[in-house]
Amino acid sequence: MSPRAPAPEDFPSRLRSPAVTSRVGVWLGITFGVCFLTGLVSHYAQLPQQPVPFPANPAWGYRVTQGLHVISGAAAVPLLLVKLWTVYPRLFLRPPRRARALMVEAAERGSVGVLVASAVFLLATGLVNMTAWYPWEFSFRTTHYALAWAAVGALVLHVAVKLPRIRLALGADLDDRSLDRASATEPGVLTRRGLLRTTWLAAGVAVVATAGNSVGWLRDVSVLAVRSSDGPQGLPVTKSAAAAGVLETATDPAYRLEVEHAGRTLALALEELRAMPQTTETLPIACVEGWSENAEWTGVQLRTLMDLVGAPAGSAVGFESLQQSGPFRTSVLPAGFADDDRTLVALRLNGEPLSIDHGYPARLIAPNRPGVRQTKWLARVVSA
Amino acid sequence: MTRARWSLGLVGVAVGCYGGWLLLTRQTAADLVSAGQWLVGGVVLHDLVLAPLVIVLVAVAGRLTPRSLRAPAAVLLVVVGSVTLLAVPVLGGFGRRADNPSLLDRDYTTGWLLLVGVLVVLAAVGSAVQLWRRVDGADPGR
Repeated sequence: MSPRAPAPEDFPSRLRSPAVTSRVGVWLGITFGVCFLTGLVSHYAQLPQQPVPFPANPAWGYRVTQGLHVISGAAAVPLLLVKLWTVYPRLFLRPPRRARALMVEAAERGSVGVLVASAVFLLATGLVNMTAWYPWEFSFRTTHYALAWAAVGALVLHVAVKLPRIRLALGADLDDRSLDRASATEPGVLTRRGLLRTTWLAAGVAVVATAGNSVGWLRDVSVLAVRSSDGPQGLPVTKSAAAAGVLETATDPAYRLEVEHAGRTLALALEELRAMPQTTETLPIACVEGWSENAEWTGVQLRTLMDLVGAPAGSAVGFESLQQSGPFRTSVLPAGFADDDRTLVALRLNGEPLSIDHGYPARLIAPNRPGVRQTKWLARVVSA
Repeated sequence: MTRARWSLGLVGVAVGCYGGWLLLTRQTAADLVSAGQWLVGGVVLHDLVLAPLVIVLVAVAGRLTPRSLRAPAAVLLVVVGSVTLLAVPVLGGFGRRADNPSLLDRDYTTGWLLLVGVLVVLAAVGSAVQLWRRVDGADPGR
């Protein structure tokens, strides 16, 4: 047998059929749609200026959308793999000879290429990024966001191109063979129904095995979750004080929190902050990486501090960390959150002084906010 | 193509181009090279490594496995294979850091073995039940 490139005829299994592809494709499309929409929510929530203010209610909103984002991503992995398996023979279709047909074919393959490359990229980098492993040069945030748009665009185009076949395939019986390749004649080890059920099972197992990060009651069975949802004071940590380089400045007895508005600055020692009226709120902290956890925070209402420097309601508030560098050293809290009574400069967590990894001496905590914008190790609070 | 399909297709092209523009205009050339490596690498790894590997695995296992075990073996391949691929970052623990014990804080190897064990037992029970039903149903004496 002389070596030659494979041809579609070399894949005789009846399971590699549009009947299976389209049914898995529907669910793959749904998972990607959920990932895309929840991703947009997350990016919007992080904008310093929001044309339509992001709501502070419900407090657990961001927790749910970001949890859905990573859960849908996990479910998409088996769906994508099975879907690609069913269409793999098409990779080896011989190109048509006529120039016009060749151009059409090249355009379609190009769009599918963009779709597959961006889909694999999004799932792979998302899963890797969650574990704080960054084996790349590019900015994860920028690239994951850009390629999400590319993937969704290519997906919409793909659906438009395939729509008649999708409708035929979904309208016909699962075991109907009228859309199959002529060479796909061999019965598989599984029935088509068996393969579909196996695919749903795989997606379900992928979710259950990883979702403990964001769904508390799954914690004990989520054996592959990045975090067991435990950590100092019962709460996980994304960036430690050591990694942020604040071990000395955060524990310095000369620490002062600067509160500023219109040229007026107050420098408050930790003792002074502790002497102010304290409020306790139960609010979730929800990381962009998908983990989330409820906690009891105690501290000074942001509003109280703003009143001290005469800052009016209805304006955004800027926060600066003791951290000297890093993209999340500062954050801007839109007015709707700054005015919310539940927004605190927190000093205590679950009944104890904040641990240094959770932002000692003081951190921002507001309802329905991405965790990465809940600035830790606060140095300055500035009203616009 | 109908007008609706053309419109849908054009929306797709526009959205995709917006993504391409976002990708190309927000980063340095070095960042883009790295992103390109990951984009191409993913497709190459799937099409030229993973997919052929699965084909070889199925061919070899098909010869070695008795007929009655092939269906549960195929189910296990799909479920365990895809979940394992998904778990590569946690199983490898490449992101683990001494200063953050709350990250990657499980024994993932044991967890994975446990998961595979449970799935194997489930597959075995499932196929035993099916076999028993088939034998039962095919018995003309009943």
